[in-house]
Amino acid sequence: MPDSSGLDTPMTATGTRPGPASGAGRRAPRRRTRVVVRRAVRFAVSLAVLLAASFAMIHLIPGDPVRTSLGPAAPVELVEARRAALGLDRPLPEQFVTYATNVLSGNFGTSFITSEPVGDVITARLPNTLALALLATLLALLAGVPLGMWAAVRTQNGRNRGSELTFGSVTGTAVAVPEFLYAIGLVSAFAVGLGWFPPAGKAGPITYVLPVLALAAGPVAMIARIARVETLRELGKDYVRLARAKRLPARRLHLRHVLPNTLTATLTVSGLLLTSLIAGSVLVEYVFAWPGLGLKIVESITQKDFPVAQGVILVYGAIVLVVNLAVDLLLGALDPTSAIREQS
Amino acid sequence: MSLRWSGPAVAGAVIVALMAALAVAGPIVWGEAAERIDAGAILQGASAEHPLGTDNLGRDLLARVLVAGRFSLALALAATLIGAAAGIVLGTLPSVLPKRGARLATGTVNALVAFPGLLLAMFTAVVTGLGARGAVLGIGAAIAPGFARLTQTLAASVAGADYVSAARMLGVPRRRILSRHVLPNIAEPLILNLTQALGGALLGLAGMSFLGLGVQPPSFDWGRLLFDGFSRIYVTPEVALGPAAAVALAGIGFNLLGDALARAAARTTVRKMDEPPAPPPEPGEPDPGAVLDVRDLTVTFPGGSTPVRGLSLAVAPGEVVGLVGESGSGKSLTAAAVGGLVPYPGKVTYGRLHLGGRDVAELSDKELGTALAMVFQDPLAALNPALKIGGQLAEVAVVHEGATRAAARRRAVDRLGQVHLPEPERRAAQHPHELSGGMRQRAVIAMGLMGTPRLIVADEPTTALDVTVQRQILRLLREVVAETGAATLFISHDIAVVGELCDRVVVMYAGRVVEELPADRLADGAAHPYSRALIASLPDLDTDRTRPLAGIPGTQPAPDQVGPGCAFAPRCSLATERCVTQRPELVAHGPLQRVACWEVS
Amino acid sequence: MIIQNLTVRFGDFTAVDDVTLEIPDGRVVGLVGESGSGKSSLARAVCGLVPYTGSIEGVRRVQMVFQDPYASLNPRMTVGDTVAEGIRGRDRDSEVKRLLDLVRLPAEVAGRYPRELSGGQRQRVAIARALGGDPGLLVADEITSALDVSVQGAVLNLVRGLRDELGLPMLFISHNLAVVRYVADVVAVMHQGRLVEVGPAEQVVGEPAHDYTRALLAAVPRLRG
Repeated sequence: MPDSSGLDTPMTATGTRPGPASGAGRRAPRRRTRVVVRRAVRFAVSLAVLLAASFAMIHLIPGDPVRTSLGPAAPVELVEARRAALGLDRPLPEQFVTYATNVLSGNFGTSFITSEPVGDVITARLPNTLALALLATLLALLAGVPLGMWAAVRTQNGRNRGSELTFGSVTGTAVAVPEFLYAIGLVSAFAVGLGWFPPAGKAGPITYVLPVLALAAGPVAMIARIARVETLRELGKDYVRLARAKRLPARRLHLRHVLPNTLTATLTVSGLLLTSLIAGSVLVEYVFAWPGLGLKIVESITQKDFPVAQGVILVYGAIVLVVNLAVDLLLGALDPTSAIREQS
Repeated sequence: MSLRWSGPAVAGAVIVALMAALAVAGPIVWGEAAERIDAGAILQGASAEHPLGTDNLGRDLLARVLVAGRFSLALALAATLIGAAAGIVLGTLPSVLPKRGARLATGTVNALVAFPGLLLAMFTAVVTGLGARGAVLGIGAAIAPGFARLTQTLAASVAGADYVSAARMLGVPRRRILSRHVLPNIAEPLILNLTQALGGALLGLAGMSFLGLGVQPPSFDWGRLLFDGFSRIYVTPEVALGPAAAVALAGIGFNLLGDALARAAARTTVRKMDEPPAPPPEPGEPDPGAVLDVRDLTVTFPGGSTPVRGLSLAVAPGEVVGLVGESGSGKSLTAAAVGGLVPYPGKVTYGRLHLGGRDVAELSDKELGTALAMVFQDPLAALNPALKIGGQLAEVAVVHEGATRAAARRRAVDRLGQVHLPEPERRAAQHPHELSGGMRQRAVIAMGLMGTPRLIVADEPTTALDVTVQRQILRLLREVVAETGAATLFISHDIAVVGELCDRVVVMYAGRVVEELPADRLADGAAHPYSRALIASLPDLDTDRTRPLAGIPGTQPAPDQVGPGCAFAPRCSLATERCVTQRPELVAHGPLQRVACWEVS
Repeated sequence: MIIQNLTVRFGDFTAVDDVTLEIPDGRVVGLVGESGSGKSSLARAVCGLVPYTGSIEGVRRVQMVFQDPYASLNPRMTVGDTVAEGIRGRDRDSEVKRLLDLVRLPAEVAGRYPRELSGGQRQRVAIARALGGDPGLLVADEITSALDVSVQGAVLNLVRGLRDELGLPMLFISHNLAVVRYVADVVAVMHQGRLVEVGPAEQVVGEPAHDYTRALLAAVPRLRG
């Protein structure tokens, strides 16, 4: 190349201007703090809204919740006494302040039916629900991600149309069957039919098997589908072409290059999955008579035990908020570019 | 949008059609049987008379399942419509409201989407009371946030489109922008989503009724029948079978159909390979002096598309050959074919494809991985965002040469220094996004230097860069070629860049080489009408500003529409009858130059 | 018209820093710069698409032609409907025909959809649409950078033709100095959000006053010969 050009920049001077890239490197920690603060504020606001919603729940019930709960035959004095005990005769703003301070100090009220403190009910049952949901999430990720990656590699660019069709219809079918049908199916086959597992209750590790399977079956298929799409997207990118040009072995290409880039999506999905499984466990707990929050909330709604329903829904909501916050923070820590993306 | 009737799609459509038929005909045909009380047949299991058993009033369960279809589907439809309507309204709010309100609406949707549907449904059910109405409203509330989010995302992407900006500048009223630009472009995905939402609503309602929170007796839907059957599951499990199967089947049907519809909307057609491409002619004697020796390279795709047609070229050690052409000329696929990177279902055939005197098919991964260096257009895309620069460089040495990690890393830092990346030690420990565009491209070039490159294939390596950075990268490439003696194939659409960097230039048009000449003859010595027109249409700093710029009328033929004659003939001012019917071969045109044209040779 | 003390900020980042630039009547002002120089932000500010401080005086309506002819036309509207979007109170059909003729497109493309047209043709449609809005200034943002070089010439000729025929002032933005020099009467060079040099095209290219302009000129690839 004839080099009579007047650009007398030495070879070493590459980026002539402080581009967004190098600037981001320097300012990243401050930005990250800002992102964390913003997330925390958002969390606090959401929590306040959630509190207001659960407070409003009782008041949105048409008519008098106490009368609704005790039935038309209950004597007026009893209803009035219960109303006074619950503070329902006070002005609304005052009620809300009392409610909020009570909840924040761990007092969720008492059950209409059993007179147990709702807080105690929740503490006793929450761990059982969390155990189910966490185990099922773990199972779904461990089975679903490899399955989806394998399907993606096999069906890339429309090769192996047969495999693609099989994968699509099998997972499509599996996703479409709701967890309570898996639960019923598993109970009738393995508990009632074959007698391999206990049909209900919680007593030792073996009783976890069927509920966890019922809860995880659909999500395994869902995660596999998402993992396939994400992997396909990555496989089409230039860095994969370059890695292929380097003639890297397939294992290294997929595990070291592609997998880390699908993690962001996987993590986001697993957060959503965990929260949806906590809610989905309601139905599974019902089938297996599992002593968790789900069984309790169904009971409380059918028995019109409003303080319990209110408390449990509030706890569910709070869990959702906490999980989402955790996922956000984790994503920010794992993926150095996501915090910056948030800014722009 | 064209539906491909694959097995699952057919199955989904058939199931949905059956469900619809059941909803219409079920109560008419079996309505009476479902309500017939038989005190003598209470709580029976399966029998010939009652295939699914009877309930606590002796009513036939099979008939009840068939009748319940209408109610179940009607409730699901109602919930879906409520949810979709609420969601679409909530989702369009941000594009209609003033800034503050828009942010509030967006925030609300974001918060609601995070909440599991069942939770929202139960909340609503508590407030509205037990029963079908509460369940429908609850499931509607559960569906709404998803629809709102979808509407919002779609509307935001359309609202950010240039054609909406253009309409705004033209003073098109807001309402009209919504009705003419936004809605038509988001309607299709929204409608697609309805099918899947309907399936979801059906399952959600079944779940609510199954928990005893939905439909209450004497009404019944599938979920309620399951609720009744479930209490008897330890004695007569078959009574739960009917409603369970009905729910599962409906869910599967809607899901498969929705899937197939969504796929049809996003489909890129994969066509069958019609016939194998003709075998290339005898390649003749290999070029002993060439590192890269290509004879009759052809790349075909299904559907008769042949983007590269019998291309031949050779590159000597230390030589930089530029492959120039406009978009669609097949230059990038030529590079991909040389690198073995043509994507499925493309087929590559050749008379000869030799690297260093040996057929590439016979070379091991180790030999190819260390002898071939590739550089792509966008260096940010070419580097793995999740891995550090140093690690990405080092792996060639680790994988192919069994180097230790420490030794490979030392070499990586050394190579980063070789491409004049400042502070190579620090850069090696950084991620790609922390480097500027020019530095990234240097890192990619350094990656190619990890082995002992004999061939460098650079596909538009400076197109994504600024001119001042382009100049530096071109200089670096020259330097690297001089140091390593590698043969270099440089692909570009920019004939000026090619002319400046390369020793020899190969001009491609519609998959074929139309001219080959020394780079310093480009300006005055180009012979092919296409090369000449290409050079003439390029404005430079000395172009006469008083005269119109040259251009070429018409367009390059698509890879499946190349006729038998010269592909350039329809756009060529010199073309004759012969040009249209007979294809000119590439023949010598003076020393060091070859041209494929009837009229100039 | 004149742009005075125009500044565009995105958060902490100043994309356009106190730019003053005059666009004389009937002239094409070429704005050249590298990525991140702020030239596109300036264009969008002039069109009112991004918030700015400073003033833009002496212009009634501004219309813009965008870089990507594949994203700037609504895929679900015919060419005729697209071109007619800005036409107010005149005979729609004959006006569409006149505009298409002005950008050297046959009248029958009015019934076609964008997907049936080539990149160059789409860009002509986008220009016709902008002209339908009866602009006092036309902003062209990298309108040939997505086109092949053999098509680019025709679009550039069209731009010059419009100036000569309609006397339409234009702000023509490009990263390609040779293209800007060919089309523009006045060339403005932007670097890191600031204007570093403004002058008649031949003068800026022939006798650059600023170091950055010289560096840019030196980097332009040329054919040897």
